[in-house]
Amino acid sequence: MFELLLDALQGMFAPKYLVPLAAGTLAGIVGGALPGVTITMTIIVVLPFTFGLDPLQGLAAMVGVYVGGSAGGLVTAILLGIPGTPSAIATTFDGHALARKGEPGRALWLGIWASFLGGLLGAVFLVGATGPLARFALQFGPWEFFSLFVLALSMVAGLVEASILKGLVAGMLGLVVTVIGNDPVMGQERLTFGIAFLRGGIDFLPVLIGVFAFSQVMQEVERMGGPAQAAARAQRALALAVSHAKVIWEIVSRPVRLVWFSFIGVLIGVLPAIGGSAASMFAWDQAKRLSRHPERFGTGTPEGIVASESANSANVGGSLVTIMAFGIPGDAVTAVMLGALTIHGIQSGPLFIAQNAALAYGIFAAYILAHPLMVAMLALGARAMLRVVSVPRAVLFPAVLVLCTVGAYALNNTMANVYVLLVFGVAGYAMVKAGFPLAPFILGVILGDQIEINLVRAIMTDANPWLFVTRPISGLLLAAALASFAAALWQHRRVQARAARAADF
Amino acid sequence: MTRIALTLVLALAAPLCALAQYPDRPIKLIVPWPAGGDTDNIFRPFAPLLQKQLGQPVVIANVAGASGTRGAKEAKEAPADGYTLYAVHDYIHSTYYTGIADVQYTDFEPICLIASTPSVLTASPKTPWKDWQGLLADAKARPGQITVGATLGSTSHFFPALIEKAAGIKFKYVSYEGLAPRMNAILGGHVDLTDANLTQKAKVEAGELKFIAIATEKRHPEMPNVPTLKELGVNVVYDVNRGLMVPKGTPAAVIARLEAACGAAAREPAFAEAMRKQGTDVRFMDRATYAAWLRQNDELTRNLARDLGLLKR
Repeated sequence: MFELLLDALQGMFAPKYLVPLAAGTLAGIVGGALPGVTITMTIIVVLPFTFGLDPLQGLAAMVGVYVGGSAGGLVTAILLGIPGTPSAIATTFDGHALARKGEPGRALWLGIWASFLGGLLGAVFLVGATGPLARFALQFGPWEFFSLFVLALSMVAGLVEASILKGLVAGMLGLVVTVIGNDPVMGQERLTFGIAFLRGGIDFLPVLIGVFAFSQVMQEVERMGGPAQAAARAQRALALAVSHAKVIWEIVSRPVRLVWFSFIGVLIGVLPAIGGSAASMFAWDQAKRLSRHPERFGTGTPEGIVASESANSANVGGSLVTIMAFGIPGDAVTAVMLGALTIHGIQSGPLFIAQNAALAYGIFAAYILAHPLMVAMLALGARAMLRVVSVPRAVLFPAVLVLCTVGAYALNNTMANVYVLLVFGVAGYAMVKAGFPLAPFILGVILGDQIEINLVRAIMTDANPWLFVTRPISGLLLAAALASFAAALWQHRRVQARAARAADF
Repeated sequence: MTRIALTLVLALAAPLCALAQYPDRPIKLIVPWPAGGDTDNIFRPFAPLLQKQLGQPVVIANVAGASGTRGAKEAKEAPADGYTLYAVHDYIHSTYYTGIADVQYTDFEPICLIASTPSVLTASPKTPWKDWQGLLADAKARPGQITVGATLGSTSHFFPALIEKAAGIKFKYVSYEGLAPRMNAILGGHVDLTDANLTQKAKVEAGELKFIAIATEKRHPEMPNVPTLKELGVNVVYDVNRGLMVPKGTPAAVIARLEAACGAAAREPAFAEAMRKQGTDVRFMDRATYAAWLRQNDELTRNLARDLGLLKR
């Protein structure tokens, strides 16, 4: 196996493959960094260029886009506080906070190196455990998926910030958003108020960009011209220089956690349906729980950045597992890759790795090699990107808003999504003003549909509700959800109490 | 004054220019099912061939949900300018008559039919049956307990329902939207049976899936060891036919351009090869033939829905 992999890696160094891989990675980084441009859209732009190439060249380009895209999102997330891709949501929590504290260079490189290491750990799972991981994923029936998403939803308790009640309300509002439109099973209209464009439901991406980008920009606008800003700008010039050795040490000095976050990423990637956004939030929440200083999360702690970025990078490796093992794509990106195989007349399926070993290991090699390429490209671009933080806000933020609006429009070429962006932009800003946290809201939007569909499926398969508890994996996940909720509440109380004591002195 | 006249002329000429140049920007192809399902698998190799004919990117958008009717509604409400195509199959008739959606085939202009895929009754590897006889005996012993993963009201619901009726048995249906999620469920044994097709051949060859019977008149050359339902005494012949449509009201010139492009793309040897690999027959019909066929198929589906007790209109 390792011989095959080594051969494939050597082969990948040939310019024939390296050029498409590098081009794909670059396109991915750019697409990932632009809010509103998804990895799927980037891959569709790249796809036509791959038709004339041999299958592995084309696949290398796509793998490059996938890896570059999931890393590119961190640039916007950290420097502007707006997730460039959904999978960078949790990176904004600490990444942007750290950048605001005057260390944008450190924040950026923490993210980049965590992506790199997380991605390579993902590769270890992908190459070494495709078979077992895929088998494990098959154990997940509707009961297990339901319970897993309930566990994910219990993270709301860890994301609440100041008030538990407001956090829960925000999470609930997120779930309500997913109810709008046709129901996913029978097509019944819900909460559409007879408005035609609500019938199709509300797309996740314009909601995400609206809520994060608009509220972020408005908060920055409020701060404009304040005394703090001038001081911060003076500091920034110094903070661009980064000691890479120190940053890497910050990440690898906690190896068990790094592997755990990456494993969470891989696992969420192997299970179809939710993807990188949930993986990064899951890992961030885990990091907060494992930490001795949970109160530092959200204020710019390095661990938060590492958790989110290592998980969403490893997630890419995980989502390649099912397509390699069974030929079943878990998302639109892997479907495009499957399409490329079909165009070249290659049969995907359980025998793919055995029958097309050279090609399969070529994909693994491309995945591994895309990571150093990604780091090299971000290193070349880092200075220019960091300049973004010193661009006058009056110039930067209107430009960001225009990009977001164009992105929302381009998603489906419809104005409806632009209106969604507008409505949720205002709603998100109002929520921030009223002290409602945004993260639980977004989590609700991510999970709502899947919780509903799997609940309905489970009951259609067997009306016995006890199955949720008696099926071992499902029962375990529900117990974990309960424990996680209780632990988060307890941690929350303790932090509040400590804050109260500190205030008394 | 001249300026106003000029503006007027330009304003009037603009739409004509746009028409003359069609297509001058990327075209969206709505696939109303999740990525990696059979409709997706069939249109993915077709899209680049169509793109070659039209000279503009043809981009697949998977708009899944509510038995494929979310995508249908989006296609229906899209501007009728030829920049939104709709990858349709026989479910457009069945979801209408089973009351899942108000969208029907008459909301669209047909462009062409491209492929026909025979249905195969497929079982999970976790099921005990070796063949149809085993399944039949079990189904008779446990009526209403064998689970079938299906998109409700769509072809994957009709096909098992036809078998139920022909063999005098009863299944239990579980909603799984599209073939890709159904495959995950059936490989893991979370449902027992599903309507699949020869696109899943590789999984059968690897022993991950069992083909029970195929719904063709004669055995299929790609899988000659799979018996037909007919030879097993179950009189069901069923296939799923896929074509392209555009919203009603699309200009005739645009439709003609699309019809020509579709015909040329469907005749490409590369398409035939990709379809052969997927156990799908290329079945091309031009606009007029397709329109007549759609009318017939609609009537057929209505009768079928009535016979199966699924008719809600």
